[in-house]
Amino acid sequence: MASDQIVFLFTGGLLVFLGIASISYSKNLVKTVMAFQVVLLGANLALFSSGLSGGDSCLVTDFCLTIDSFVFLSILVGAAVESVGLAIVVNVYRKYGTLNPSEIRKLRH
Amino acid sequence: MTSELLSVFISAVIVATVLVALFSDRVSISLIALFYASTLLGIVFTLYGNALVGLMQIVTFSGAVSVLFLTVILLTGESKLGIGATRVTVAAVAAALALAALTFAYVASGLGGASPSEYPDISLQTFAFLWEFRPWDLLILVTVFASAMVTVANLFSRET
Repeated sequence: MASDQIVFLFTGGLLVFLGIASISYSKNLVKTVMAFQVVLLGANLALFSSGLSGGDSCLVTDFCLTIDSFVFLSILVGAAVESVGLAIVVNVYRKYGTLNPSEIRKLRH
Repeated sequence: MTSELLSVFISAVIVATVLVALFSDRVSISLIALFYASTLLGIVFTLYGNALVGLMQIVTFSGAVSVLFLTVILLTGESKLGIGATRVTVAAVAAALALAALTFAYVASGLGGASPSEYPDISLQTFAFLWEFRPWDLLILVTVFASAMVTVANLFSRET
């Protein structure tokens, strides 16, 4: 199980790196939101793999919150953030007529 | 298939689908690849002992967020970029069939007709339970996934 944890931690870190790199060079706002989802997937995978080594260890003992609870919470919050991001993308497209960030920046001035 | 080999294989497939999603020129192909990446991550969560998180991952990201992405792509007209509808259809069906074949091979190699409680590994227990009591659900699920991918490809092909 320890080697699984290392493999998934490495994969999660790689996904986060790829997502951030894609956010930085993306020329399409929809692809930017997709890259944000990749970052979120990597973070969730790394968080989940960090809980693979131990048993049922409660991080918060009063309510017995485990790592899986935080992964659950992260999934829900991430989906909500992505929904807001996609709504912003649609509004930006209606206002400026393009999804290219550099063109939007030129149109603003 | 050992647990370590399975984790390396799933991780490699996840990274491959994410690379396709991030570096593809066409947004529709990125969406399909992202769908598979989210589904694979949900399978990882389910295999390693938390079926609830895996189910929530698949329902939320593979279901709701993918439909939101599809709606946004159709609204913003990015489908006019043009995709090879036939190739996308074939690729989607082939990927769904490959996923189903891999799942079937893994289940068939690990079960051997015994009861689910005989397996100490939690991932084999989950698959054994599904295979013993819910085989038609698995088949319907794979069929629905394949149909959804074909529908997405047809939507884009009608726009172009």
